Amino acid sequence: MVTLAHYLILSGVLFAIGLAGVLIRKNIIVVFMCLEMMLSAANISLVAFSRAQGTNGLPVYDAQVMALFIVGIAAAEVAIGLALIVAMFRARRTVESTALNTLKD
Amino acid sequence: MTETIIFYVFAVLAVICAIGVVAFRNPVTSAMNMALCFGCTAAILFGMGAQFLGIVQIIVYAGAILVLFLFVVMMLDLKTEENSNFLANISGVAIAAVFAAMVTSVAMHLPGACLCCCKAEPAKQVQQGALGGELPKLCPAAAARQLDPQADVTKADSMPDIKLLGQCLYTKHTIAFAILSFALLAGSVGAVAISRKIRKD
Repeated sequence: MVTLAHYLILSGVLFAIGLAGVLIRKNIIVVFMCLEMMLSAANISLVAFSRAQGTNGLPVYDAQVMALFIVGIAAAEVAIGLALIVAMFRARRTVESTALNTLKD
Repeated sequence: MTETIIFYVFAVLAVICAIGVVAFRNPVTSAMNMALCFGCTAAILFGMGAQFLGIVQIIVYAGAILVLFLFVVMMLDLKTEENSNFLANISGVAIAAVFAAMVTSVAMHLPGACLCCCKAEPAKQVQQGALGGELPKLCPAAAARQLDPQADVTKADSMPDIKLLGQCLYTKHTIAFAILSFALLAGSVGAVAISRKIRKD
């Protein structure tokens, strides 16, 4: 039997792995991939709540619409983010986040 | 029973692929793992009865976003070498583990939640609004009645997921949907504007 708690735990674990990737990895492209994974993990918990809160055999479709919006915004965000990474690579010849320390030094 | 098995298989696969994204040094391998992870996520969404979102997940994430990532990885021609700091790795994993433990403990203490002991006390379950316990069953007849009150609900055998989602999207959330489309437009224009080569003259 799969309960809401199962879905929430899966979503939380996937989100945590994405968070670990964002904190650990130095390659900005992989950091960005991990961000996308965190967004899709959030989608799982939204859809699980839409099922759990449903009444009369229907899920709450507002939550699924919100998940759809997340997917759409993620697509726009990836386009902008990758463009920024390409522009950064042109300027600095690197995609390592540790190399971005101009303000620190 | 099959639903449970499918959930566990795809959940474990998704977690393994997600760890692969973080662990592999080569960005292309990470991207491939991410594709598998999104596929498993889509399968879990299918299992929850959100067919449309599952398909969107495959088309948008595994189709569009991933290909964009691969384009950029190939275009930049990255070296796979990446120096890592052991202390930073450990602290990152520790922070993520604390987060996962927090989410897990919250999920296990939901009102009425029971991860493995539900057979023992069936009396507690049926209560409306309790988040724990099994997810409520989907009812195709109720869906058919919502779409058309005069419909012959005895014939309904499958959930018209896309119709109901579209009804909600285009009636209650029309303005948000229009704003989203503007955000996508602005995103695509902005991507071209940011990444174009700037001439010196």
